[in-house]
Amino acid sequence: MNYSSETKSGLRAYLARSDPLRIGLMVSSLPLFIAGWWLLSIYLQGQNFYYLPTPLEVWNALVASWEWDPVTHQPLLANINASLGRFALGFVIAIVIAVPLGLLIGYSYLIDAFSKPIIEVLRPVPPIAWVPFLLLSLGLFWGPVITIFIGVFFPVLSNVIFGVRSVDPLLIDVAKTQGASNRQVFTKVIFPFSIPFIMAGLKIGVGIGWMCIVAAELFAAQGGGVGVLITAGQTIGRYDIMFAGMVVVGLLGIVTLTVSEYLEKRVKIWMGMM
Amino acid sequence: MDGHDVILSIKNLKKTFPKDDGAMVAIENFNLDVKNGDFVCILGPSGCGKTTLLRMVAGLEPLTSGSMKVRGEDIEGPGSDRGMVFQEFGLFPWRNVKKNVEFGLELKGIPSEKRAEISQKYVELVGLKGFERSYPKELSGGMKQRVGIARALANDPAVLLMDEPFGALDAQTRNQMQMELLRIWKETKKTVLFVTHSVDEAVFLADRIVVMTSRPGTVKNLWNIDLPRPRDRASSEFIALRKNILDELEVQKTGA
Repeated sequence: MNYSSETKSGLRAYLARSDPLRIGLMVSSLPLFIAGWWLLSIYLQGQNFYYLPTPLEVWNALVASWEWDPVTHQPLLANINASLGRFALGFVIAIVIAVPLGLLIGYSYLIDAFSKPIIEVLRPVPPIAWVPFLLLSLGLFWGPVITIFIGVFFPVLSNVIFGVRSVDPLLIDVAKTQGASNRQVFTKVIFPFSIPFIMAGLKIGVGIGWMCIVAAELFAAQGGGVGVLITAGQTIGRYDIMFAGMVVVGLLGIVTLTVSEYLEKRVKIWMGMM
Repeated sequence: MDGHDVILSIKNLKKTFPKDDGAMVAIENFNLDVKNGDFVCILGPSGCGKTTLLRMVAGLEPLTSGSMKVRGEDIEGPGSDRGMVFQEFGLFPWRNVKKNVEFGLELKGIPSEKRAEISQKYVELVGLKGFERSYPKELSGGMKQRVGIARALANDPAVLLMDEPFGALDAQTRNQMQMELLRIWKETKKTVLFVTHSVDEAVFLADRIVVMTSRPGTVKNLWNIDLPRPRDRASSEFIALRKNILDELEVQKTGA
């Protein structure tokens, strides 16, 4: 497992067990990265290459777009809300379908036999390949939502199936000798055993969901979105806004990933596994 | 033997496993009656089918032919009238000690107050008072198996089936657990069917020892152990018995 058994908050525990050199490297890495970016953008702009704005220009674009930006014509929070809502909706639909379906496929080889060919054909299709069709058929609201759904659905499904198949047969024998019916074996052994795998699937799904945001909002999306900020910023030549959108996606990704890691950890503690 | 007193009865038991070229006979012509309250050890070379036999009594494996009855009823699948203790403990890692012990009671839909009462009784019986809220990962191997025993007993089974329950423990813990098991057996008066490959363990624990032949497994000999308990491993009777049984096992290994 990736985690220490300490019950302190993640970051504190992380820093507490680090040596000074490690902390120094961690603290200095981001400033060094930004400095490198800055130097590179100044150099490139001197060569008449204007596609990479400086960090300050991106920061200014970010601050300006907080109130209003010339691309989406609305405040940044409205864009963030639009993307987060879309992300949450696609994510939740994916979980609601993938978890029970994964439990069934993992448990029943007949359901597995039937669904496997369909799933294996659909799985390798990148979510972005669906975007044109989804926008045409479902429109500007549901199109992007379902793109995120597709991105999250398959990794969660795989993890749940893997979780069910990883159940220790000994625990099933124990449950049977304790008088468990097949249904009780499922609810009292297979399902709880799969929960950590489901949580791991959600974590992977969060990362992939954000990857799909830009794809989902690539052409257009109802109510704007941070992805729109990126693609439309590029269209009108406002590369500072384009990069500001990228920074926001990165930050949203970190926040949601941290939340999902925290949830995963809480669930493990609650289940007595940490 | 009074027929009424027989709690487990196995007659002409046969077990085969399908193989590429026909069938592998694991157990054949196996007969055994176990009396209520008996402590019976099943000893045999590895691969003789002793674990398979225990799993069949537990209902985890179907029999091929013959009959197995518990309290006169044919065994048809697993049931809580036969409690099983496994070598690798098989504790649910997401349940604490109390919840592990209450597992079978929960399945039966017994209300939580009654469950707590029963689990507390067995947690104390196996000497784990104070560890009710501990999770399996916080327990030593010996403590884990104490939970395994408490969990099997909480269903109040007619027979306690033990599949090399102390095989995963170090020698010292193992000896300690053997004494603990005898104490628990005395207090609960349960019938115990105990599979082991350790002659020493069998002679220390059992009223009767069933020595099995190598595959296909059948009863080679039945030993009645009349030594008074607690048994002294250093006594001449103990050593002599152990040697005789060991010789019997050795003969079939080399004589096969």
